[in-house]
Amino acid sequence: VFTSLGIYLFVAQPVQAAPAAQETEKYCLNCHNNPELKMTLPSGETLSLYVSPETLSQSVHSPLGIECEACHTNITIYPHPANTYQTSREFSRAYYQACQKCHPTNYEKTQDSMHAQVAADGNLNAPVCTDCHGAHDVHAPDQPRAHISETCGKCHTEILATYTGSVHGAALLQENNPDVPVCTDCHGVHNIQDPRTANFRVQTPEMCANCHANQELMAKYGLPANVYDIYKLSWHGVDVSVYKARWPTIWHDSAICTDCHGIHDILKTTDAASKVNPSNLLKTCQKCHPEAGPNWTGAWTGHNEISLERTPFVFYTQAFYTSFTPFVLWLSVIYVALQILRATAARIKRSLQR
Amino acid sequence: MSNQPAPTTSKMVRTERVFQRFAPGQRWEHAILILSLLVLLLTGLPQKYRATSWSQAILSTPQRLDTIQTIHHIAAIVLALEAVYHIGQFIYLIARRKLPGAMLPAWQDVKDAWQMVKYLLFLSKEKPKFGKYNFEQKFTYWFIIFGLGIMGFSGLILWFPILFTRVLPGGIVPAAKLAHSSEAIAAAVFVVIWHFYHVHIERLNLSIFTGWLNEKDTREFHPLEYQRLTGEKNSQGEKK
Repeated sequence: VFTSLGIYLFVAQPVQAAPAAQETEKYCLNCHNNPELKMTLPSGETLSLYVSPETLSQSVHSPLGIECEACHTNITIYPHPANTYQTSREFSRAYYQACQKCHPTNYEKTQDSMHAQVAADGNLNAPVCTDCHGAHDVHAPDQPRAHISETCGKCHTEILATYTGSVHGAALLQENNPDVPVCTDCHGVHNIQDPRTANFRVQTPEMCANCHANQELMAKYGLPANVYDIYKLSWHGVDVSVYKARWPTIWHDSAICTDCHGIHDILKTTDAASKVNPSNLLKTCQKCHPEAGPNWTGAWTGHNEISLERTPFVFYTQAFYTSFTPFVLWLSVIYVALQILRATAARIKRSLQR
Repeated sequence: MSNQPAPTTSKMVRTERVFQRFAPGQRWEHAILILSLLVLLLTGLPQKYRATSWSQAILSTPQRLDTIQTIHHIAAIVLALEAVYHIGQFIYLIARRKLPGAMLPAWQDVKDAWQMVKYLLFLSKEKPKFGKYNFEQKFTYWFIIFGLGIMGFSGLILWFPILFTRVLPGGIVPAAKLAHSSEAIAAAVFVVIWHFYHVHIERLNLSIFTGWLNEKDTREFHPLEYQRLTGEKNSQGEKK
């Protein structure tokens, strides 16, 4: 028990465990262990006041001695003060603020998030801490890892469905793959930002590169790890890197990874349904280049290094400019150098004769 | 002033014969070539090196990239018109059987080059005797012609990639990008090393601007042309 407690203290760094002195749990459960216990809110909603002792004992907080009063700070004794909340949602939105007492960093982050912004604009359904982490049943959020994406999917149902069919989602949900990205790997955890902004767009290639430029990780799946480096040299990639460096807030249309590969629906390029599968590539190009004809896809070197088999035109052009042209230029340099030498020699000879 | 007789006997006055080397049309062509190439180079380099900070300092707003590309395209059109004029004149002169032919490569150029190499390596004391255009000048001319051909073709592909790939394979687009970008540097380096040396350092030769070349330089550097123009047999080309 002490070992696991030690690990928890270590893993959950920001937690400042209060001394295990609040013996409120036993006291409160005297009444709240009754499954029938409920109250009617002014809105007409029925709010269950039942707290399962079993759920509570399996959460991360209770075993650490963080008991009822730590969060329900305004209820210390029976009879309780009169309820002032109109709806159950109002209830949740008031109580989650107790989280910041122990988790100030993550709480602060959520205040800068897309979700907080939506709430400030009046959507009270925007999630608060307890919506993702649970209230009486707080567990480590990533046990198993798929749980993270499933949590987001509680609200973002369509996206979860799409993601489930993708190469990343399928590996996560079917094989519990430890390497594929879950929602938070791309979107961030507590300070989740609007992914539709120019800023998010311009940073996307680097985000993908977090994994796809990782040699070790890519080797594990037989994928090339130089795709990002080659992309950066491409027409699109250079454009994007300039925007990233200079104008991150100005929208640009040069293709980033997700424009061609998809976002939540990324598939293996060998999958016949993949947007970048050779059979679908022209259609994908035509999203931005509507006039392009069937030969157009040949202009795309596909994050591959120049090779005779794949890109013969570029290969021969490169061969020309790395052999014949330097040869001619060096010959010119040598010729001019010889001329300078010879002219100097002739001048010295003349001056000696004088 | 003009009706005073030339004081050929005075020691205070040096008279010099000059020979026409370039017609006004050719001098205009060269001026247009210099100007358009300079503009193309200056507007092309920031595009080639967009990833660098100096380029980004120049192209400091997205609109500036559009502007610099427009300037690049205008200069390209000017140069293309000049090329069309040049080729048109070439065809016209051929049709009239009047092409001078002095700029065409000949076997004599290879022999001259060989003799020149021997001279430069101190294996011979004799410089080859050149006509109106020596092999160095012909090499410059044909290098530029070749380079402009590549730049023009690849530039058009980059300007109208969709149009070109309607007929040609798509692989030519990245190849054109590589060629356009490499050839530009190669040509610029060549002009600086080869052409600038021959017209500025070896001797200051401004005949392409003035149209005239003086007697001394004509006799020394183009002895066969000097003979042709004057009918004098004994050139003093190498003796000095």
